[in-house]
Amino acid sequence: MLKNYLKMAFKVLLRRKFFTFISLFGISLTLVVLMVAVALFDHTFGAYPPETKTDRTLGIFFVEFRSPDDHSMTNGFAGYTFLDRYVRTLPNVEKVSLYSFPTTAVSYLNGAPVTSWLKRTDGEFWQILDFKFLEGGPFSPQDEKDRNFVAVINETTRKRFFSEGPAVGKFLEVDGQHFRVVGVVPDIPILRIVPFADIWVPISTAKTDTYRGQKLWGNYLAMILARQRADLKMINDEYHDVLKRVEFPDPKQHNKAFGEAETLLDLGSRLFLLEKSYGESPVKRFMAWLIFLMVLFMLLPTINLVNINVSRIRERSSEIGVRKAFGASSLTLVGQFVVENVLLTLVGGGIGFVLSYGVLHFISSTGLIPYAHFGVNYRIFLCGLAITLFFGLLSGVYPAWKMSRLHPAVALRGRG
Amino acid sequence: MTKHLLTLVWNRRRANALVVLEIFISFLVLFAAVTLGAYYADNYRRPLGYSYENVWDISVGSLMEMISGDSAAEDKKNITKRLLAALREFPEIEASAGMDNPLFSIGTSNNNYYHQGRKTLASFCAVTDGFQDVMRLELVRGRWFEAADDALDWDPVIINQRLANELFGSEDPLGKNIGNPEEKRQARVVGIITEYRENGELFEPENYVVARRKLTGVSDDAMLHIVIRVRPGTTAAFEETVMTRLLATARGTSFEIKPLAQVRASFMRVCMAPLLAIGVVAAFLMIMVSLGLVGVVWQSVTQRTTEIGLRRALGGTATAIHAQVLGELVVITSVGLLLGTALVAQLPLLGVMTFVGTRVFLVGLGTSLALIYLLTLLCGLYPSMLASKIQPAEALHYE
Amino acid sequence: MIRLSNVDKVYRTSQIETVALSSINMEVKEGEFISIMGPSGSGKTTLLNILGLLDVPTRGTVRLNGGELTSYRDRDVARIRNREIGFVFQTYHLISDLSVVDNVEIPLLYRRLRGGERRKLAREALERVGLSSRIHHFPSQLSGGQQQRVAIARAIVGKPRILLADEPTGNLDSQMGDEIMDIITSLNRQEKTTVIMVTHDPRLAAITERIMRLFDGRQVN
Repeated sequence: MLKNYLKMAFKVLLRRKFFTFISLFGISLTLVVLMVAVALFDHTFGAYPPETKTDRTLGIFFVEFRSPDDHSMTNGFAGYTFLDRYVRTLPNVEKVSLYSFPTTAVSYLNGAPVTSWLKRTDGEFWQILDFKFLEGGPFSPQDEKDRNFVAVINETTRKRFFSEGPAVGKFLEVDGQHFRVVGVVPDIPILRIVPFADIWVPISTAKTDTYRGQKLWGNYLAMILARQRADLKMINDEYHDVLKRVEFPDPKQHNKAFGEAETLLDLGSRLFLLEKSYGESPVKRFMAWLIFLMVLFMLLPTINLVNINVSRIRERSSEIGVRKAFGASSLTLVGQFVVENVLLTLVGGGIGFVLSYGVLHFISSTGLIPYAHFGVNYRIFLCGLAITLFFGLLSGVYPAWKMSRLHPAVALRGRG
Repeated sequence: MTKHLLTLVWNRRRANALVVLEIFISFLVLFAAVTLGAYYADNYRRPLGYSYENVWDISVGSLMEMISGDSAAEDKKNITKRLLAALREFPEIEASAGMDNPLFSIGTSNNNYYHQGRKTLASFCAVTDGFQDVMRLELVRGRWFEAADDALDWDPVIINQRLANELFGSEDPLGKNIGNPEEKRQARVVGIITEYRENGELFEPENYVVARRKLTGVSDDAMLHIVIRVRPGTTAAFEETVMTRLLATARGTSFEIKPLAQVRASFMRVCMAPLLAIGVVAAFLMIMVSLGLVGVVWQSVTQRTTEIGLRRALGGTATAIHAQVLGELVVITSVGLLLGTALVAQLPLLGVMTFVGTRVFLVGLGTSLALIYLLTLLCGLYPSMLASKIQPAEALHYE
Repeated sequence: MIRLSNVDKVYRTSQIETVALSSINMEVKEGEFISIMGPSGSGKTTLLNILGLLDVPTRGTVRLNGGELTSYRDRDVARIRNREIGFVFQTYHLISDLSVVDNVEIPLLYRRLRGGERRKLAREALERVGLSSRIHHFPSQLSGGQQQRVAIARAIVGKPRILLADEPTGNLDSQMGDEIMDIITSLNRQEKTTVIMVTHDPRLAAITERIMRLFDGRQVN
């Protein structure tokens, strides 16, 4: 039965090559856009090394301080002192790490300027994240305490500064400071904002110690590793309690603090939904919105295809009449047409999949997003397949239903 | 004929409604892309007013430090004076000066300026003496800033020709006050330059006032940027030398040195990015529109094979059939474009997109309309060919 | 076998009412070979469609094998069409994308038979109409007479008890037409298939046992 349907579908698609081509074009293009979006999403929020413990990690990304009358507020990254005092001391956590937002730093190699992304971290950073070291190892909390000028660099930096040779033990200069290389790690894509950098150095090597000043905001973020996944909500609640007890250096300027200890996906959801703090999990609503937008996006080509499909089936009114005359029920015909359309969509989806692979590869190679290595893993593939099937059903059901209701007497009266 | 086509389209309004909507939306996006492109292109051909070749921009203090105010106040005392003095020692550096606003970026500072009851807005920036030598500005009349200006009890400013025309007409601006009449300390015009387009070639020319910064030795005179003109042939290796000297002069600060040509290139990439993005969306929408148009027209043809065969049997030529099919499409497209144009025409009335100017606006409008009509004709070609091939006997053959 | 009682068929648009059939009473016994004659517009095809359950009467009842057809639910009607009825059309209505044997198999597709079984029955039907040598050809490669024979094979492959033919020789020359009539007649005599044929050719009607005449939707004699 299915074989007959497939045979028929194939013949029909070949009969009107122009319209088949146009349909495939539209389908594959839509799917390319969706698949690339899905891939970007997955690469930003999915669990990739070195973030292997994302299921029990929270982050402090942004904080907000408000004035007594709520008229003015400062919103941004927290200062080192704030995090050190209020986050490092949170109870019931396994480990806390503080790190800076990466900044550009210039070095000179044989007179030519080289710009690198520099990130300042504590020793605990390497204990929470799981970097794979190509050479050497990380620096420790003791290095941070002793203000040792050591650095971990990525593969590209090693190639830039030391050609192909090993780097551990050698020195490099960046932003006017000298560091000894203790470890080399693979390149991390910029999308992985928590671990990303070209060069990692201890926080205490900062040029001035203004980071230890009284100001509550600055350039720092925190990572909190919980003992187990179930603790996450509790930790956030504790953080809220702590925020209520913050001591403000100038209470006339700011006397209220707001923030969340959250996962990256939580943060993304909150920002997307334009929410300041979350009651229910924003992630579910964020995903619901994304699916809604995806369906909305698919609606345009779908409705266009519906018109083409209706015409295509209408041209077969003689066939519809014959099949009905010989015992096909309306439902059977709907099934036949839906199978035909799903087949067309799968072909379009296949093309789209291959194209999106190419597009992702292209994006990676242009360096638009530094160190992005977009691959297509099974998650993205399954997502793509689901989208394709959904698309095929969506654009096939209505025309199939409409044409299957054709009265056989009317259908047979048409061209023979 | 037209009325007949309108009737045909109206009778199938449900199927056509979606395509009309698609054309409407894609026209809007296309219009945005084309107009923005035309705006950039139109601005690009006008003179910049300064020369950026062989000029390097030095950012004093990293962006993060500026935001978080991390650099020590102690270190900022006299900083600009000290840095400029240090730079003056290099023979490779022809000229150097401090400036407040970076070139080739989006930000701008502006202020109102007055003369004889007229008030006009102008962008402004503060610079130190010798700025004209670094940037090779062109003086039309008057003079540049000089060290003696430190003793004045009014603020000398240099304005561009555009502002001179707008505020003074044919009157001579030199020596006149242009500050707020209610202020005690006034800004007075000492010179007129041809042009100074701080944001680069992609943005439209505007009124400009160059103000003078006195280096008084207090920390709040620290300037965010220093620009230096290096002798032609200076290699990039010199950058390291400069950097070392700068770091030695102001220990707690970070610096970033970039040839102005590079800053300009990155900035243009950033400006082009939204254009590219809108362009990609427009292209995608156009493809969807094609899909829609082809679907609609094929539907119309298959529903009316009998009618078409009949027309042929009654003496209609293939060309007439082509014309009917394409005519229907053109009517559908025109409805969508009419709605789109009606909306777009409201924009200048609402004050949106006024920055592009009338001429660019009309060019953008015309080009977008033309492109969509072209697309429509292309989409209709194949189905209309199919329609014209319908043989009367075949179409009428039933019973 | 088939009985129509007081059947009317009226087509209504928002403005016009067309009476295609009026007060039709007829009975066809098993194994009969009858023809329906009448000028154009007399309602012959409409009557055949109602007999073949391709259309629903506006008034009146249709009885098949004694049981009255009360529900014209799609699924029920489809099953009856599949098992009891075979249709042959003036314009053949073969599916041009499919080969001869695939065309003949179509009624069997809706009977849930396995592929091998279907092939066997299709070949038998094609042999019955004398087209064994053209199984894998496509309709466009056959003459009119051969196409009609394929159509007949398709109509009988499921061994239905009733064969409805709407001007089966209308598009064929006299020689091919005679061949077709031979096949239909032999089906009636040998397999005892009930045949109801619409025709405007008195020569053909003469071969049948009984002629029913229609004029303006009514029976006349």
